Parts: sequence; C-alpha cells; structure tokens
Amino acid sequence: MSQQTVLLLALMIVPLLVALRIAFSKNPDTGYRPALITSWLLMIPAWKLIADFDFSQGATTQFAYSISWVESLGLNFSIGMDSVSLLLILLSVLLGPIVVMASKTAIVKDKRMYYAWLMVLQAAMVGVFAAQDLLLFYICFEFTLLPMFVLIRKFGSTNRVAASVKFFLYTFTGSMMTLAGMVYIVWFVAQPDQLGQWTLDIATLTQYASNMSMGEQTWVLLAMLAGFAVKVPLFPFHTWLPLAHTEAPTAGSVILAGVLLKLGTYGIYRFAIPLAPTAFFEYAPEIAVLSIIGIIYAGLICWVQTDIKKLVAYSSVSHLGFCVLGLAALNVTGFSGSILYMLSHGLSTGGLFLMIGFMYERYHTRDMNTVGGLASKMPIWATFMVFFAMASVGLPGLNGFPSEVLCLISAFQSDAAWSAAGEPGAWGSSLGPWFAVFAGTGMVIAAMYLLFMVGKICFGPLREPEDHHPHDELPTDLSMREIITLSPLAIGCILFGLQPTMLLDAISEPVNNTVVLVEQANGLESAPTRVDQMIEHADEHHESAATPDHHTPEGASHE
Amino acid sequence: MITASLFNSFSMPAFLADPSAGHGEASQHLAQLAEHAAQHPNAGPKWVLLIVLLPVLGFVLNAFYAAFGNKSKIPAWTTIALLATAFIATLSMFLSYEGTPYTVQAFEWFNLHYGDKSFVANFSFYIDKLTILWMLFVTGLATLIALYASEYMSHDIGLGYCRFFAAFCLFVFSMACLVMGDNMLMLYLGWEGVGLCSYLLIGYFYKKPSAVAAAKKAFIVNRIGDLGLALGVYLTFVHFGTVQYSELFANETLHTYINAAATGDFSHIPAQAQWIALLLMVGAFGKSAQFPLYVWLPDAMEGPTPVSALIHAATMVTAGVYLIARFYPIFLVSEHALPIVAWIGTITALLAATIGMAQFDIKRIMAYSTVSQLGYMFAALGLLSTTGAAFHVLTHAFFKALLFLACGAVMHGFAGQLDLRKLSGVAWMKGWGIVGVTMLVGCMNLAGLPYITSGFYSKDMILAEAFITPGYRMIGWILVFTAILTAYYTFRVYFRVFVGPQHAEPGDEHDDHDDHAHGEEQNHDAGPHGDHHSDHFHPHAPGWAINTVLVILACASMLSISLAYIQKAEHHGWVGSMVAESSASYHSPYAAEAHYAHVEHTDMHPVAGPVGTAAPGKVFGMDAHAGMILVSGLGAIFGVLVAAYFHGPKGWQGLFIGGRTESDKCRMDAIARRAGPLPRLAENKWFVDEIYAAILVTPLRIISHIFHWIDKLLLDGLVNLFGFLPRVFAWVIRPSQSGVLQGYAVSMAGGLAVLLFVVLVIVMNSGGAA
Amino acid sequence: MNHLVQAIDSVQLAQLAFPSEMPATVLAPYLFVSAAMFAIGLIGFLTRKNMIIMFLCTELMFQAAGLALIAFGRHHLQADGQTFVIFVLCVAAAEAAMALALVVLLFRHRESLSASAWKELNG
Repeated sequence: MSQQTVLLLALMIVPLLVALRIAFSKNPDTGYRPALITSWLLMIPAWKLIADFDFSQGATTQFAYSISWVESLGLNFSIGMDSVSLLLILLSVLLGPIVVMASKTAIVKDKRMYYAWLMVLQAAMVGVFAAQDLLLFYICFEFTLLPMFVLIRKFGSTNRVAASVKFFLYTFTGSMMTLAGMVYIVWFVAQPDQLGQWTLDIATLTQYASNMSMGEQTWVLLAMLAGFAVKVPLFPFHTWLPLAHTEAPTAGSVILAGVLLKLGTYGIYRFAIPLAPTAFFEYAPEIAVLSIIGIIYAGLICWVQTDIKKLVAYSSVSHLGFCVLGLAALNVTGFSGSILYMLSHGLSTGGLFLMIGFMYERYHTRDMNTVGGLASKMPIWATFMVFFAMASVGLPGLNGFPSEVLCLISAFQSDAAWSAAGEPGAWGSSLGPWFAVFAGTGMVIAAMYLLFMVGKICFGPLREPEDHHPHDELPTDLSMREIITLSPLAIGCILFGLQPTMLLDAISEPVNNTVVLVEQANGLESAPTRVDQMIEHADEHHESAATPDHHTPEGASHE
Repeated sequence: MITASLFNSFSMPAFLADPSAGHGEASQHLAQLAEHAAQHPNAGPKWVLLIVLLPVLGFVLNAFYAAFGNKSKIPAWTTIALLATAFIATLSMFLSYEGTPYTVQAFEWFNLHYGDKSFVANFSFYIDKLTILWMLFVTGLATLIALYASEYMSHDIGLGYCRFFAAFCLFVFSMACLVMGDNMLMLYLGWEGVGLCSYLLIGYFYKKPSAVAAAKKAFIVNRIGDLGLALGVYLTFVHFGTVQYSELFANETLHTYINAAATGDFSHIPAQAQWIALLLMVGAFGKSAQFPLYVWLPDAMEGPTPVSALIHAATMVTAGVYLIARFYPIFLVSEHALPIVAWIGTITALLAATIGMAQFDIKRIMAYSTVSQLGYMFAALGLLSTTGAAFHVLTHAFFKALLFLACGAVMHGFAGQLDLRKLSGVAWMKGWGIVGVTMLVGCMNLAGLPYITSGFYSKDMILAEAFITPGYRMIGWILVFTAILTAYYTFRVYFRVFVGPQHAEPGDEHDDHDDHAHGEEQNHDAGPHGDHHSDHFHPHAPGWAINTVLVILACASMLSISLAYIQKAEHHGWVGSMVAESSASYHSPYAAEAHYAHVEHTDMHPVAGPVGTAAPGKVFGMDAHAGMILVSGLGAIFGVLVAAYFHGPKGWQGLFIGGRTESDKCRMDAIARRAGPLPRLAENKWFVDEIYAAILVTPLRIISHIFHWIDKLLLDGLVNLFGFLPRVFAWVIRPSQSGVLQGYAVSMAGGLAVLLFVVLVIVMNSGGAA
Repeated sequence: MNHLVQAIDSVQLAQLAFPSEMPATVLAPYLFVSAAMFAIGLIGFLTRKNMIIMFLCTELMFQAAGLALIAFGRHHLQADGQTFVIFVLCVAAAEAAMALALVVLLFRHRESLSASAWKELNG
C-alpha cells in the first residue's frame, strides 16, 4: 500500500472518524471547530495527491488499492483514481471547508448532529469517485443520500419534511433500478461464455459489457439512466431538485449542486456509456433532446421565479443539460466539455448558493419581491453576486465558458446531416447543428434569468422586509469569514476560465479512451492510436495544426 | 417591381470572370501573409502585451482603491496614465509594424488535441494593420475620455468613482482582446467582455430602475447576437478545423471557396461554409445595434455620458464592423451574407434617422444617429467597401465622441437637462464658448458638410460605392436621403440648444436623465448646481479637463480630413492603406473599373442591375465619386438649411432664415401638429419596443409561466401520483389486517394449505408423466 | 482426527451410527405422530385466545416438524435432519424466552392474556 493510497484512504476514513467523534461528544453544540479543522486538513492529502498524480497517464488507475472481501462473489474493497476521478475528488474536498465555514452562524442548534452528518457526506463523496468496484461505488452512491436527507430533514426551512422525503424516495427509487442494471451486467459477465466468474471490478466489467446484445444493453442503459438521470437531473426527472434545493440549508444546497448532481453525470460517463456503449450510441439523440428541452424549459422557468433559491435550483437543471448534451455527443470535445462542466458548475452555482445563504441569514426571506436592491447596502455581497452570476452566464474568462464552448462544439461536430459536406471525422450519432442551435439559446436564456435575478436582488432601490432588523452576529455586509469562504470559489472560477488547458490536458487520456471504446463497440472507424497522436501533437502542435487537413469532396453542395 | 428588385439584390452580384482581377489576387496575398504568421507563431515583440496588460492593471488598482474606500481623484489619474501608456504602446506598435502580421502569445488557453484535429485557441494576439487601426483610436479615445470623465464623474468621488474607472479599464482590456485576439475565441472573450462592461456601466446608477432595465436589455439583446457569433465560431471550427486567424486565412479550403465565389458560382461552396457568415453577421448586428437588434442602444444612454461616448458611440459598437471586416474572406464566400448586411445597414440607417428626427432628448438623438451611422458602415461593408466602412468608423469615432461629450458637458452643467425644448443659446452663456464651437464642429462632421469635414469624405466613399457596385443603386439613393435627414436632425439640435436666445431650465435631479442621482446620501443641493427649484439657477460651466478633451477631439475630427488625401491614389486614403494589408483587404473589381473609367474614359459594358439599367459607377452621367460629392454635399447643405428654417433662431444665428424667438417655439411645432400621427409615431420610435414586447417578450413570459405550472402540476403531479399510488393500494387491502391474531393465523394456514395442494398437484402430475 | 471429520460427509456420518436404512413401514408411524402433533398445535393456535396457550401450540408445531425431520433423517441415513433439529431446538428455546417475556409485558398493559385485547393493532 503506497503512501498515496493511505492518503486517499485518509480522505475517506478521517472524516468518518471525526464524524463519530463529533456524534459521541457530550456537548450538543460542538462540531464546528473539529469539522472546520478536519476539512481544512484534508486539503493536505488532496494536495499531495495532485502533486503525485502522473497526469501523463491520466487514464491509468493510480494509487489503486484492493482488499478482497468475499472472494467467491468477487466482492472487493477497491479504490483508486484516474484523472477524472481525481478532479472530482478535489472538487469535493475543496467544497468541504467552504460549506463548513458557511454554516457557522446559519446552524444554531443541534450542531453536533449537523457537522457529524456533514463529515459523513464528505467521506461518501470521496468514496463514490474513488471507487473502482461496482459495489463500493453503489454503496457510496447511496450513502450520500442519507446525510443529505438528514441535513434537509433536520436543518431545512419550512417545507423541509416533504422535500427530504421526496428527495430520498425519488433518487432512491431511481438508483434501485440502477442497481438492477448493474447486477445484470455482473451476472452477464459471470456467465461461462464470458469471464466465467463473479467480478465487480469496473474495468473488467467494461471489457465484457459490449458483448451484450443490443436488447440487453438497452435495458441495462435504461436501468442505469433511471438512477443517473434522476440524479443529474435530466428533464423530466428534475422535480425533486428545486424543492430539495429550496428547503436545504445553504451547505446542503452547495454540496447538492456542487457534487451530488455530478454523481449522475459521472455515473453516465463512467458506467452508462462504457457498460452499454452500443445502446447509448443508439439513443444518444433522444438523450440529447431531453437535455436540450431541459436547458430551455428550466431556463424559462427560472425567468419567472420569485424565490431566488428556486431560480438558482432550476438554473442547475438548465446547466446540467449542457453537461448531458456533451456526453450524448460521444466525442472528445463533448466528453471534455462535459467533465469541465461538472467541475465548473460546482464552483459557480456553489458560489451562488452561498451568496443566497448569506443573504438569507440576514433577511430570512428568499422572495425577491420582498428583498432587493442590496447593492447599496451590501456592496461586497453584490459584487460577488454579480461575479458568480456572470460565471454562471458563461462569460469568457470565467469558468462557465470553456465547458459551454466545448459542449456546443461537440453537438455541432457529431453530425450526420452535414458529414457529406466534408466535415472531417464527422462520424457519430446524429446530433447536429440544430442541437447546437437550440442548446445555444440556453445562453440567451441564462442571461435573461440571471440578469433578472441580479437586477432584482442587487440593483434598483433598496427593498427590505418590514420586520427586518440587523443580525446579532453578522455585519451588514459580508464578514471576513464569509469573504474567505467565497474567495476560493471566486479564484477557482477565474483560474478555471483562464487555464482550462490544464484541465483539458489532465483529462484528455481517459476521455480519448472512452471515445475509442465507444467507437470500437459500435464498429466505427476510429482514428488509429489517438493517444499516440495526441502525444505527438503536444510536442509539435503548431506545425501539425497549421497544415490544413480537410477532405472536402469538391462539388458537394448542400443548400 | 420594387419587391422583385429587392429580392434580386439579396444575392451577391457575380464578380468579374477573371479572378485575378478581383479578390483572387488579394486572397492569395492574404494567404501568404497569414501563412507567414502561422509559420512563425508568437514571433512578435512581447511588449505588445502591455497594451492589454495596462488596462488590466488599471482594473486591479481601481478595484483596490474601491476596496479601501479611496475618496480622491487618484483612480482617474491612474486610469489616464495607464491608458495613455497603452496608447503610446499602440503608437509604437504602429510605427514598428513591418508589413507582415505577427502573433504574440500571453499564455495557453484552449489546447485540446484529439485524433487528427486540434482545438487551439490561445490567449494570444494577432497584429496586422486592421488591428493597429482599431487599437489606435480605441486607446486614444479611451485616454481622452478617461480625462473627461475624471471631471465629469467628480460628483461620485468616494461613491462610484473607483467602480466607474475599474469598469472603464476592464472595457479597454476587453476591447483590446476583441480587436487584437489571434483567434475567434479571443474575439468572443472581448466581445462578451465589452458586453459585460457595457452592462456594468449602463447600470452604473444602479438605484434607478430605468438604468437597471436598460443595462439588462443591452446585455440580453447583445446576447442574442452573441449566440449567433458563438455558433458562427463553432461552425468555423467544425468546418475549417481552426479558429486561429493565421491558420484560417491561410486555409486552402477557404481560398478554394473564395476563388469559386469570385466567378459568381456559389453552388460548389458547402452550405455549412456559407452559414458561418450569416451567423457571424447576427453577432455583428447585435453588438453594432443594427435592425432588428438596435433597440438596446438608445436605452443605453442611461449610463454616464463618457460611457455613452466611448462605448456606445466610438468603440464598442464598431466591433460589429470590425468583425465583418476581419472575417471578410468568410463573408465573401457566402452568397447572401453581404447583400443582407448592405440592406440591413441601409434600413437601419434610415429607420434610426427617422426616429432621431423626432426625439427631444439630445443624448437620445445622438444615440439614434449612432445607430444610423453604424448603418452606413454596414452598408459599406455590404457594398464591398471595407475601406469605406473603416474610414467611417474612424471619423465617426472622433466626431460622435465629440458630440456626446459636448452633450455631456451640457447635461453636467444643467443638472441633467437634456430636453432640447428647455435649453437655448447655450453657446453664448459664460464659459460655454468652447462647448459651442466644438459642438458645431461635431455637428458639421455628422451632417457631412462638403469638403470641410471628415464625415463628408467617409460618407462620400460609402455613397459612391453604392453606385459603383452593380445592383445597389437603390441603397445609394436611400443613403443619400438619410444623409439629408442626418443633416437636418443634427442641426436641429444645434439650432435649438446652442444658439438663439439664452434660456435654460435645469434638469430634475431625480428624473430619468439624471447622471447624479446617486442616492440620498449625497447632498447635491449644496453643490455648484444650486437649488434648481429656486429661480436663479447657475449653470456649472465645464472645467479645463472637459474643455481640453473637446478641443482635442474637434481638432482630430477636422484633421482626419487629411487621411482621405494620404495615399489617395493607391488605397483610397490612409485608412485604405491600413485595411489593404489585412484580412479585410478587398479590391472591388467594380471600384477598379470605375476608376479606369474615370481616368481613361473607356466605355464599360453596362451591367443589368436590378434597379434600372444605368451603367454602374455613373450618377447623373458623372463618375460616382464626383457625382456623390455633388449630391451628398448639396443634400447636407439642404438638410442644414431646413433645420435652420424650422428650428433656427431669428437673425444670423439662424442663417437669416430661422424664425425662432423663444426657446421652445419654432416653425416645426406647427407642422408637427398638422402632420397627423407621424411625428408621434416617430417620437415613440415607431413603437418598435412595444412591438417586441408584444410579440416576443410577453409571449415568452407567458410560455415561461405555463412551463412553470406544467412543472408544478403535471410533472411534479405525476411524481406525486407515483408516491400516491401505494397509498391507494394500501387503503384497498388495509381491512385484511384485522388485528385479530387468529385471523392472521388462519390466512397463514390457508396459504400453507394452498401451497401444499399446488405442490401435490405438481408432484402427482410429474409422477404421472414419469 | 480433524482431517478425518472433514473427509466424511453427513451420509457417511449417519452410516457410521446406523448400520442400515430405516424401512418405510417403520417411518410411517413417526410421521403419523408428527402430523397429529402439528394438527393439534395448529388447531389449538387457531381456536384458543390465551396467548400462553397459543405460544405452547406453536411449540407443539415446532416439535412436530422436528420429529418429522429426525424420522426422515434416519430413513435416508443422513445426519442433516438431526443437525437441523438441534437448530430448531435452540431457536425454540430463545423464542420461548423472548415470547414469554413479551407476553408478560402485554399482560401488564391490558391485565388480560387474551389476544383479542390487542385488536386495535389493525391496519
């Protein structure tokens, strides 16, 4: 067991131990300090993991560790990470101290319970991304539900009971079907004509899964999507999200938007696509249509909200539509864009939820008709609000842009209609320009609702609730603690926006591999040894990029 | 007949059959230049990055000042110093330019390689003459306007002063990225960046709901255009495999297309390639406020006047022109794009001019005139005259900035008064002489008075082109007519506000056009404005900073006449020489031919244009340029005289034909009363905003509400229904749980019996079978 | 010794204990008794309301099943049946402890041993 593996294990186990310690402490108001210290300290192993990760082999599972549990059934406790997992783990760890700090004044009673569950959630989130074993993944995947359920149920606002129950049952029902699909694959691989023995190792399963017939794959895909699409959430399975977001405490919303929704897209990327490649290829246009409907539909709903938190919640539905669109495009740009979207959405929407939380602590309302024009009273708050809104709009230079660009390009690229017109490498599903155009309207709609929100809450004459009185502990504008809470996200947004190449390089190998996998499963002509070429490109990309390389058939006209 | 001709003219006229005579040659030259830049990436001197970095530094410093609550003019001086340095850097970039484009890279931005393709868009800059031309006036004007704003915004010191200059610097940075970027994503970054700054600055007085609404409107309408631009960029990548200028302009496929287009044969150019230009065009329409996306610009006047001058008159709104000029090769390969650009530009020019005629708010008049002049630039682009467009951009930048700043001085001095009915004879008031004179210079340029103004030369170039390029005569006449309207509405402002009997009603501090309504915490009544409710109002004459800037701009407007004469023979003037060696370089075959006709009096083959069969290049039997000097010159003078007659004061100030004796009574009033609903329609901007609201915004909002309810009732209802079904089922079978223990036991025993029976039957059957 | 035990399965174990299979004619009376015990237990459980009697009836049914298991085990010469009975006895003992305790608790609530006293525990 290497040192890095220990660190990775620590990322999962230390929060659990701290959770136990907090849970069994005598004082019900304890928890903030240990949780804060732990979540900050977890940054150290996380940092060490990035430093030691070999990004040139991003697709290889690194720091892997596996203990056999029940050998005859192939049950293992097996962890490790490729670069995609690494980045998502980093996002989870980064959000840790942020949500703890954001909760300091927001949570006034039952702190012990709150912070204990928060730590459990932290461990489960790392576990879900680090799992290399189907069962461990599933256990962690489901185990994120429970802490979140408690956070909403105990610490939410007025309608919290209904919200928590709906959240739990809806996502749980979906993921039961996911389990069924996964079990089927395991059973399939265990058949004598396949591997012939029980295994839950994701990599092994992926090798054999494409042997399934189209019909089997379709069912497996549907089963897995049942869980993942609810989690994303993909239209029309999104109705739990606005409710859960609205009722959850700030930290809950941040984690929900920042990480838990990504479990759905991560699941699609890691399981649904590799384990049912032919079926996903077949149904990609339908999935893309759903995601585009989601982009427009949820965006327009945002526009008529008065509850600011609901607005941001629906905006998540709209944004995640881009993410799924990129996945459905099944090409390198799409996967890269989608993974970037998972990371970037966590920063900007997480930031927006924090902003709303800070406002809510002071005004105890989320109704934009009651409170607004806060720029004159809380200029720092308003500055951050505009900043995160712009990041969410997808302003170039900030985080939303790179991912949005890549997702839209990917929709353009995988195009059947125009492939005859000479688009090189236009293999692929039948997404096409219209997908990109309709998804692109999401850009305009995003501007409409986010500026509507900013215009109401930040600008215009000051409006406050009638019974408003200053908070006992909090200053009028943001306190230093709150600014420190926000800063990592804001800096992250800028760095992300200016240096997407770093991330793109990091994920290029796993993404390329996934594309090759899909291409091979579907018998498509795959560019030979993409990875080799990629390395070649990296050395001399200027020369190679400068040679125009288009196989335009002359005389092909499409008017 | 007219409709038919309109339709005909919506496709590109066939070029001369010999591609080497037209843009074929230019295209090869361009390819060589671009290839040179592509083969030597990042070869430029690094100090060029200063032009981009200095504004960023300004932004950061101003943000710090804001954070530490600076209450002095230091933000302004910092900004001015940094921007002036950036201007000097631009100048030296201009002087050291050696004829070949080069790129300078700051850092890697997008770098995605896959298969045989790569998506590369670095944070780097592409310098050619078009870039230099634009950057010269962007940084130059930004410096001047920052100086102006240092005085203009002084009421907000300690309040929004830092915020203003921070956004100002950010704007210059974004504009630099837009103009200098070496790939389409950098252009897009700048494009959205200037949009953001525009949003922040229009909404500078964020407590005013109208300012907030205007800012929002500007951003969203722009965003519609941005969508077009973004899709165009993506499509460029999908089709040509690159978004970097140096590679794109050297792209063989593109040059194959250009050569095909040169023969007038568009059928071999894939639709995908032709769509790129149409999509980019939408972006240009949004940013440059062209019909139907122009509605945001007049509302944008809610921002402080320096902002209106810099962003919404001189620089940002010309980004659309830059876009089309920069991607001219791509526009050339699209059959319909340039004709549409020409017609949209023309329609916009006319429409905005008619609205401008009926407005009373002088800043809004200037806004509509900006829209109208941008229409001229677009028409020029569509008429295959990038030089004309670029020249008009340049002259317009100077004189429109001048006009706005002069109006701003008035607004500043008269407590936000902008209504031309409430001001008169301002030029004669004490301390307002410079404003009066410079305003006159600006008005003359805008009106295009012959020979003595730069606006005349640039407009003439566009108008002549309309008669030279076949098929566009109608555009030519519409633009001439618009020029007359322009002269009229421009001098309407001058005759009413700046000359005549002295009269001034101060503006309301809290009305819509108030620049200084910055909240209750500021006590304005103690300021030099005085209490405007009292009878003795003292206008606040502009100080040295404002006057200096006005004088410099007036001089620049006049001096840019000379640009028309530098290198006139080879390139149609200095601007032509700047455009010539860039991607916007395009030698219209018609222009060449017209000039031959002019020089050698050779007979040309008459081309059957859609409008009439007159030989191209002839107006009233004269060469187009000569004809236009006559027609547009006389038109401008006529427009001024009409304005003088209807709005001018009695006596020499009204050129002896005016009849106005009071500030708000003039001959136009009587006519307007008798003209029926027309003036009211024009004053209300032909109700375009209301029409948009009725056919776009309201339905969309209704749909959104419907979606909201669908979501709440239908989708969530279904989910709840699934949650409810088990309850119904439970309700049905509940009575079977009687609570009597024996009841359960009986059912268990019964079940067991049934099971046994079944097993027995199976066993017996199988036994029978065996 | 240990490896010896591992080597033999339950059939061999039974064969070590008993020389030959029990004939079916000998098995029948055992099964008859077992069935009778089970029937008595079942009828008792269904007809009586006293919870202690009901509990005793369940025990009777348990033992009936145990008897049948042993008989069959002997019949087939397999030790599995007897092994299972030991489990059943253990469970029954544990159950007895739990159930009687529960009955006592229930009695304290209602001052009655009748099962119908808890009728409101319906659906």
